[in-house]
Amino acid sequence: MTWPDSAHATGADLLALHTLRCIGFASLDRVAAAAGLPEPEVESELIDLAVAGLVTRLAGEFGGWGLTEAGRAADAERIADELERAGTRAVVAAAYERFLVLNPELLDLCGAWQIRSVDGVASANDHADPAYDARVLERLTDLDRRAEVACAELFAAMLRFRRYRVRLGDALARARSGALEFVTDSTASYHAVWFQLHEDLLATLGIPR
Amino acid sequence: MRWVYPLSPETEEPADVLGGKAQGLVMLRRLGLPVPPGFVIGTAACRAFLRDGRLPAGLDGELAAAIAELEATTHRKLGGPERPLAVSVRSGGSVSMPGMMATILNLGLTAEATAGLAAETGDPRFARDSRRRLLSSYAAATTGGEPIPDDAIGQLRRAVVAVFSSWDSPRAATYRELHGIPHDLGTAVTVQAMVFGNRDDHSGAGVAFSRNPNTGEQVPFGEVLLRRQGDDVVSGGSLTWPLHDLAGREPTVWAGLLEALRRVEEHERDACYLEFTFQAGQLWLLQARPGRFVGAAAVRVAVDLADAGVIGRAEALLRVSPRQLRLVRVPRIVGVGQADLVARGLGAAPGVAVGRVATTADRAVRMAADGPVILARPATSPLDLHGLAAAAGVVTARGGPASHAAVVARAMGKPAVVGVAGLTVDVADASVRAGGRRVPEGTGIAIDGTGGEVVMGAPRVATTAADPHLRRLLEWADEVAGDSTGRDEAARLGAAHAAIRRGASIP
Repeated sequence: MTWPDSAHATGADLLALHTLRCIGFASLDRVAAAAGLPEPEVESELIDLAVAGLVTRLAGEFGGWGLTEAGRAADAERIADELERAGTRAVVAAAYERFLVLNPELLDLCGAWQIRSVDGVASANDHADPAYDARVLERLTDLDRRAEVACAELFAAMLRFRRYRVRLGDALARARSGALEFVTDSTASYHAVWFQLHEDLLATLGIPR
Repeated sequence: MRWVYPLSPETEEPADVLGGKAQGLVMLRRLGLPVPPGFVIGTAACRAFLRDGRLPAGLDGELAAAIAELEATTHRKLGGPERPLAVSVRSGGSVSMPGMMATILNLGLTAEATAGLAAETGDPRFARDSRRRLLSSYAAATTGGEPIPDDAIGQLRRAVVAVFSSWDSPRAATYRELHGIPHDLGTAVTVQAMVFGNRDDHSGAGVAFSRNPNTGEQVPFGEVLLRRQGDDVVSGGSLTWPLHDLAGREPTVWAGLLEALRRVEEHERDACYLEFTFQAGQLWLLQARPGRFVGAAAVRVAVDLADAGVIGRAEALLRVSPRQLRLVRVPRIVGVGQADLVARGLGAAPGVAVGRVATTADRAVRMAADGPVILARPATSPLDLHGLAAAAGVVTARGGPASHAAVVARAMGKPAVVGVAGLTVDVADASVRAGGRRVPEGTGIAIDGTGGEVVMGAPRVATTAADPHLRRLLEWADEVAGDSTGRDEAARLGAAHAAIRRGASIP
């Protein structure tokens, strides 16, 4: 799909800040992948944001880059400001409404991927039945097509949302080529990216979860 | 009548015509139990609608006749300015597709009828609440955002179209695809006179199992909400009371419910599930289906029914599938008294987790350095995921088994309890509250991701494999199969099933 060039582009500093707002604590490579920016550029932005007290870096197994309380407040303000300046509130709100129609179905599919009900007994899907997995992936592919249509205007209006299209497409392609963890399990899985898109729509519109 | 059938004891059409829900209601009527009067639009009308894109010729006339009869039975008038009749419009195919299709309640409450209901009851707030529920269920069922017509028959027609159309919603189609349900069955529509659980202080709604679905124990189990309609109970958004509280508050309703559970169980020779509403102290049953117990509960019910002579041992063995027994090695919390039970939600990822409760992801990460942590959140967002990664288990106040939190917990292999109505996570106070109890951050709790329990401290944890009922069932299995060599539970039961199918007799 091609988009017009009139889309609103978000500056790298806000993009780095807002990416953390939507994905939570993450390593540099994950932030860069989510933002669609080279690692050195993201790192440089994150360091500046850290100096300003908006992000922080925790050591340890569950650490990484994350927002501070001040960073969360600053992001809310700046992302709302961006929405007004770009004049894209109505487009984002409409996309969010269409997203909410698809969200329960995506969650059904993730549930079916993880838990399979046979004879009324639900147990973990051991992925030993390729036909069943293929059925779930077929439906996920169909939903992905509908999601692309539902978000078409959003992608046309705001550059930063296009990154979700790329990441969702990647996750689906990998899952279909046999990397089963890209449906629900990996941090770059279809569900993980979808969940972040959900969070982004809420955060952008200023709706509490 | 060609498309419409009365909800009466004489109706004999099978489930593929009436849908499972209406068939259950006909069974209740045959047992002499209280069911709101109504009728069913069979699945053939749905198939015709989906084929032609419009309601079939002749349905309008039959609908009008069925409504006229319902008005005569109830001495009310649909959409009337005095003694208005309101109806519920529910989907229901021959195969259950929970939550996938449309339901519209309080239909017929036009502006005029709402005023009539307020005047009749002297309770404008009740009338407004009922009208509000119509508007919200109508809006949810018709995604196009069309305004609701203000004539009652028009509302009914649109509602039937909405239910039929919901059969073909992409979400429902996905559900059928995943569960191997044919796409051409269509749904029936059950239309019944509304009974109002939100009517007054002696009204409410609930769900009841004839036995405990977690343990199989022969004690009625369920939940109830006062002054509410049934969808509030099923949606999980409200704080419910344990079913047994009805005994003290509404003894007549309670006695009627026990009798209904007894009669349905006797008729079905199995544990059963009922949805009910009581209006001004009078009990009404809205749905009946088999209990569909799994794991330890299924084993216990089968063994108890065989002991009581209700079913034979061969049938008891056949009622538990070998697949069920794969669940018996999942650890469960056992022997917890009411005093230690903090709250109950929905099990979303199986297993038991024990640890100190944390109310934010950041604190969970910090506390996890000193031992296992249970993360408690109102709902989860991606901002909580590092906390979930650090935690041994998660509990959320909102969300269902199909929520982001549940998907992520299962992906990480962590026990999860979601949809704990009445659980408040107070980050500022660093505590969680439920059932009048304040649990400060750092307190030891445990969660059971199968049964949905949240309990204080470190309770006893066991697997069903040690359960005495299971031991007896497997002894019966070995006798039937004539083999008592050491095999796993599923293999022992599977051998018994094979022997029974070959015609082996029960010693």
